[in-house]
Amino acid sequence: MHALEGVTLVDFGQYLAGPFGPMIIGDLGANVIKVEPVTGDGMRMAGKPFFGCQRGKRDIAIDLKAPEGLEIARELVQRADIVHHNMTAGVADRLGIGYADCKRLKPDVIYCNTWAYGLEGPLARFGGLDPLYQAAAGLEYEAGAVHEGNPPLYYRFGMTDAANAMLSVVAVLTALYHQRRTGEGQEVWTSLMDGGAFFSADAMLAGGKPVPRPRLDRAQHGIDACYRLYETQDGWLQIAAVKQPEWVALCGVVGVPEVADDDRFATAASRAEHRTDLERLLEPRFLAKTSAAWSNALDDAGVPNEIPLDPHQGDLMLFDADNVRLGLTAEYEHPLMGLMRQFGNLIDFSETPGRIDGPPPLVGQHTREIMRWLDHDDAHIDTLVEQGVIYEPDAGLSAYRERFGTW
Amino acid sequence: MPAALEGLRILDLSWGIAGPGGVLLLAEQGADVIKVEPPGGDPFRAYSGSHVWSRSRRSVTVDLKREQGRAAFVKLAATADVLVESFRPGVMERLGVGYDALSAELPLLVYCSVPAYPPGHRSAGRPGYDALVQASSGQQWEQPGWRMGPIFLHMPMPSMGAIFLVPTGIMAALVAREATGRGQHVSTSLLQGAFLYTTQIWQHVEHATAPFHDLMGKSYPPGVHQQFIFECADGEWLHTSVMSGLTPTKTLDEVLGLEDAPDGFAFMSMGSEEREAFTQRRREKFKEHDRDTLVAELQANNHAVEAIITMEEAFSHPQLVANGMVAAVNDPELGETTQIGVPLNLLATPGAIRGPQPRIGEHNDEVWGSLGLASTEIAAITGGA
Repeated sequence: MHALEGVTLVDFGQYLAGPFGPMIIGDLGANVIKVEPVTGDGMRMAGKPFFGCQRGKRDIAIDLKAPEGLEIARELVQRADIVHHNMTAGVADRLGIGYADCKRLKPDVIYCNTWAYGLEGPLARFGGLDPLYQAAAGLEYEAGAVHEGNPPLYYRFGMTDAANAMLSVVAVLTALYHQRRTGEGQEVWTSLMDGGAFFSADAMLAGGKPVPRPRLDRAQHGIDACYRLYETQDGWLQIAAVKQPEWVALCGVVGVPEVADDDRFATAASRAEHRTDLERLLEPRFLAKTSAAWSNALDDAGVPNEIPLDPHQGDLMLFDADNVRLGLTAEYEHPLMGLMRQFGNLIDFSETPGRIDGPPPLVGQHTREIMRWLDHDDAHIDTLVEQGVIYEPDAGLSAYRERFGTW
Repeated sequence: MPAALEGLRILDLSWGIAGPGGVLLLAEQGADVIKVEPPGGDPFRAYSGSHVWSRSRRSVTVDLKREQGRAAFVKLAATADVLVESFRPGVMERLGVGYDALSAELPLLVYCSVPAYPPGHRSAGRPGYDALVQASSGQQWEQPGWRMGPIFLHMPMPSMGAIFLVPTGIMAALVAREATGRGQHVSTSLLQGAFLYTTQIWQHVEHATAPFHDLMGKSYPPGVHQQFIFECADGEWLHTSVMSGLTPTKTLDEVLGLEDAPDGFAFMSMGSEEREAFTQRRREKFKEHDRDTLVAELQANNHAVEAIITMEEAFSHPQLVANGMVAAVNDPELGETTQIGVPLNLLATPGAIRGPQPRIGEHNDEVWGSLGLASTEIAAITGGA
């Protein structure tokens, strides 16, 4: 059995911050139904980011603005433990699938919105994309080292999408646990804005003034002379000489044992204070040998280090033998794109293992299957397809390709 | 209304960011969290972020290397629903408090491990500081920056992935326990945390074409959203975005006061040189504007835009304040502080900050005493600290 076996989640979300959380909940064993517009999810055109947030879901394509379409959505809500989406302010209510509507249909439902800004407040009416919240939470400022005179830098991983999605997973599971114990459902929400701020949780004001925290140098090497990247003869090396014996060993390996006795560098605090002096001393040493030569010597001396891996768009990690053997990668066959591979289990369970339930779905790939589950007969399904209220791909997928392409 | 996790007890033996910060999300939904530290305290307390990641819990110390300490700890574990630890694989086993040893006596316990690398991985015995996992997992190479080569990620990304996987794993196991009546071992790692952030960039696809890879690919200089960052007057910056979900009442160029600006269609039809020339004009125009005034005016016209600020400045962001994410916490070492609030909103069972990071062993007498330990025994297992 899987941890969330028997749990049904209906996912009305589009783009990334909405759909990613339901995908993770699906990996834990829940039955996740993606409700997609008959015109397709607005993110499909982007390819990789879309696929990354959709695997394992079953997909029904519905025109929610058609009265018969809304009725199908309401039937889905009646069978849902969890309703999840990222519609902007007022949209779900206007469609008739706001929390009040859903609660009437399923009194103990857990209803989650992953907002851009939040439920209420001066900017709550806005939608928005990840970069805005990287900006507002200080991430771009710190990543670029703006304090050193650089421009701000956008992290290309879509971090606040992921944060919002994962906060929603924790919120939903916490509410589900409460529901299982008390019978009470509820409305929960998270936001891109708060997700960004959670990344910067080490920022504080004390007496109104910023509490000092580690900062990046202008060349984006790291946050301390002993916790940074160094350029070597043939590449780069990340070191992390955090403990005092590691610092002393580092001095020995790079051939400056006397530096360990220098008063300026006696403690972690004084090394931070004289960071530039120390870096000027260490930089030319690292340039004298290759990354592998330094890494071997530092390993032998007990100094933590790693050679940064160029992952070749992820393929080296997705095909790494250890990662494959340990289930950290997953492979599945997509009807149009062939074999696809992405990260696998992010969490391992000794008694209720996770499962990756297949590839990202096509638009409406499971429309008929889900409609039958909702007790509609094939004649009625055919009529609704004809009317454009619901959509399902053609058997050979040639019309599908015309309409949606291959992504 | 009680919080959702009222009555749930978590022992937090973890160090660093992912364990304590992951537990924080559950602590502030009502769980009773006890930070279990070695005599002298968790060494990561030296890092300023610890004041936030380790708040909302009590602290006890115990020397697990002494049999008396181990026995007291097992007694404490018998009162807990969840245990969280972040040591290298094998360390808890050597201390006699590994999953097998504890679960034999405590079948309901959810035991959560978050080392740097999973057991059985060839790197499992290697040091696991965050930046080392950034390097070994390929994330530093994936981030373009202001020079070629790997870029140090200021945000500790592998930890910031695992920080969500810890509470997700725990809560999934607790939901399962309601059905099975049994606990289990839940494991994740910083490596799996790093994988979390490859969602949008790592897809191996058999029939992929070059555009499939290029569309969201890494570029130098940095591309995609980076091109919407603009410098304003006085060296301040802002980030605009392509969609706000609202209909703009004036165009960006109208707000900027840019004469003879092409409409969206004309802009898209321009040749690359002409388009670059216009973009340069637009960049120059931004520099004539005060950032905050421009952000306010763009937002008033329904444009998606934010000032690029530090997190310390963000404590004054009106939406962050409205979200309850700006909190006053009286820290025993730092005094009155401003910290982030609670990012999970459960409207029927609201969460709350439950206090500052405790002092090392602050609750030794209270917690160990509640298990019936005499003060001499408490002194022995805590080393008096």
